[in-house]
Amino acid sequence: MDALHHLLAGFAAALSVKYLLFALVGCVLGTLIGVLPGLGPAAGTAILIPLTFSLDATGAIIMLSAIYYGAMYGGTITSVLINVPGEAASVVTCIDGHQMARQGRAGSALGIAAIGSFVGGTLATVALVVVAMPLASLALKFGPAEFFALMVAGLCLVVGLAGNNMMAALLMTVIGLLLALVGVDPVRGAPRFTFGVEELYDGIGFIPVVMGLFGVAELLLAAEKRQTHMVEAELKSWMPTAAECKQSVGAIGRGTVVGFVLGLIPGVGAIVPTFMAYVLEKRVSKTPERFGKGAIEGVASAETANNAYANAAMVPLLALGIPSSPTIAVLMGAFIINGITPGPFLFQEQPALVWTVIASFFVGNVLLLILNLPLVGLWAKLLKIPFSYMCAGVLIFCVIGAYGLKQSLFDVWVMLGFGILGYLLRKLDFPIAPAILALILGPMMEKSLRTTLEISGGSFAIFLDRPVALTLLAVPVIVVGFLLFKPRSLAPLREGDSE
Amino acid sequence: MRQGRLIATGAMLVFCLFAVWQSSLLSLTDRLGPGPGFFPFWLALIGVVLALALLFTTYREPAAPAADDEVRILPYGVGGMRWLAIVLLMAAAAAAMEVVGFRLAMLVFNAALVIALGERRWWVIALFAVGGSFGVYYVFTHWLDVLLPDGRIWS
Repeated sequence: MDALHHLLAGFAAALSVKYLLFALVGCVLGTLIGVLPGLGPAAGTAILIPLTFSLDATGAIIMLSAIYYGAMYGGTITSVLINVPGEAASVVTCIDGHQMARQGRAGSALGIAAIGSFVGGTLATVALVVVAMPLASLALKFGPAEFFALMVAGLCLVVGLAGNNMMAALLMTVIGLLLALVGVDPVRGAPRFTFGVEELYDGIGFIPVVMGLFGVAELLLAAEKRQTHMVEAELKSWMPTAAECKQSVGAIGRGTVVGFVLGLIPGVGAIVPTFMAYVLEKRVSKTPERFGKGAIEGVASAETANNAYANAAMVPLLALGIPSSPTIAVLMGAFIINGITPGPFLFQEQPALVWTVIASFFVGNVLLLILNLPLVGLWAKLLKIPFSYMCAGVLIFCVIGAYGLKQSLFDVWVMLGFGILGYLLRKLDFPIAPAILALILGPMMEKSLRTTLEISGGSFAIFLDRPVALTLLAVPVIVVGFLLFKPRSLAPLREGDSE
Repeated sequence: MRQGRLIATGAMLVFCLFAVWQSSLLSLTDRLGPGPGFFPFWLALIGVVLALALLFTTYREPAAPAADDEVRILPYGVGGMRWLAIVLLMAAAAAAMEVVGFRLAMLVFNAALVIALGERRWWVIALFAVGGSFGVYYVFTHWLDVLLPDGRIWS
């Protein structure tokens, strides 16, 4: 009842003109980012952070969240119309979505994607309301040892999904953690790895690094590729027929469950739920031979799972303070920029903010449905923006974002440096996601560990006395250790770095 | 690809070794418990072990098929020129911004970048360059309260 009461208050705030406008702008910009091939939700959310500098914390989070799930839907449009996924999670949608477009059913594919995204996103938010508060209450009983173990578990899960690249993922995690430690030691105040550079006393900025690794690196990769000839599919209508809707009901239901459950697990990424929902749908179908040839259930399942995942991924962030993907890490960065630490205390200390943001997820899903069904044709036209203007436009935002936070040109150089680094790491198949999550969790991990060891007088035996911490530490470490030495016997599920 | 991975892992090994050395200069423990060097020291040491293990496994990997060898790590050809144009123009803009400010630096950056990426219509270039520098500056500083560099020569 308490949650319902807070949620209603959240709706009252989220439906105010100001926050409705922020959600609308976020949905529009997010869809735009999703439509433009190459720019994923992580890059999009990061490069649009400067737009929120002047907003209050609630408005900033509402807009950035809307950008996130707007981008998750926007990628569908290019997947269906030109067979190019606008973001990594839309790869699966290409399989049947583009086939439908070739058969003259692009409108049905986009329509069912919008409906599935709406249903998946809304039901996942309902589940978020039910799950998040009890989870946060449970986490309130955690001490620093449990929090340290929880963060280790989160990072291990991200690493564990790197497949055959797990050793590289572990190394990237360590590099990310080390970069997070640059600056003044939060406990004793001693400078570390600063080399007398004044700008480094505050640490390496998370936002310039993310903008570099995702925004700039993605542009550099896109700039290098040769232009390909794109065939546009004809868009006759934007609504699926009644028969197609009936055919998709089961797929939407199953996609919601798959997306929500996998969204709760840190590190899974958006590709895995979409892929699993698609495979599940093919398995349960009486006519699996239609899949890959324009089966509407294929589009419905993948798109529903995609948006259910996006909303469910907010649960670990809001309730535990653990980002489950790079995009959620960017959102966590936005919380921190606004002086708010996501986690179990959020529900106690900032109930108005957190419930308004949750209510805005519902509002955002409705806005996306309203925006996407009739405006599909308009979004498709955006694909005609030449790369030169898109590239310059994105770089303008990157410069403003990197500079604007601390008014430091040093951060612009940091962004450029990490852009080049991100480009090389992607070419060499080093996973970037673990480093991003480690970069944002690093300071909190160190603080938790050091507080734990101060309590125990420097003894690690304290973890043995705390069963929750011990379990949280042991299980993922054992699983990663097992996978590390048996990598070739298990099918790898590789995470797309853009999500 | 394999050679590139070996070089990159080697660089990470050097980075971790450097971090071990730097953190060993800080206090690892004191009377209150772990010191500022404690976490980075052990972390960097783990990084060294991981980098060595990755070097070893990459070195022992069987030779990649011919198609894989064709994957070039560094940019090349026309795409490489576009890549270089973005990086150099970004660096030039970042360097110039401190002196001439956001507006002038981005005016030149926008015009030069779209030309480098293939645009030839002068009026479109001019419109985009002005909008993307003076226009963006106005929107962010006046409407969104974001401070942008004005440049030393104007102050």
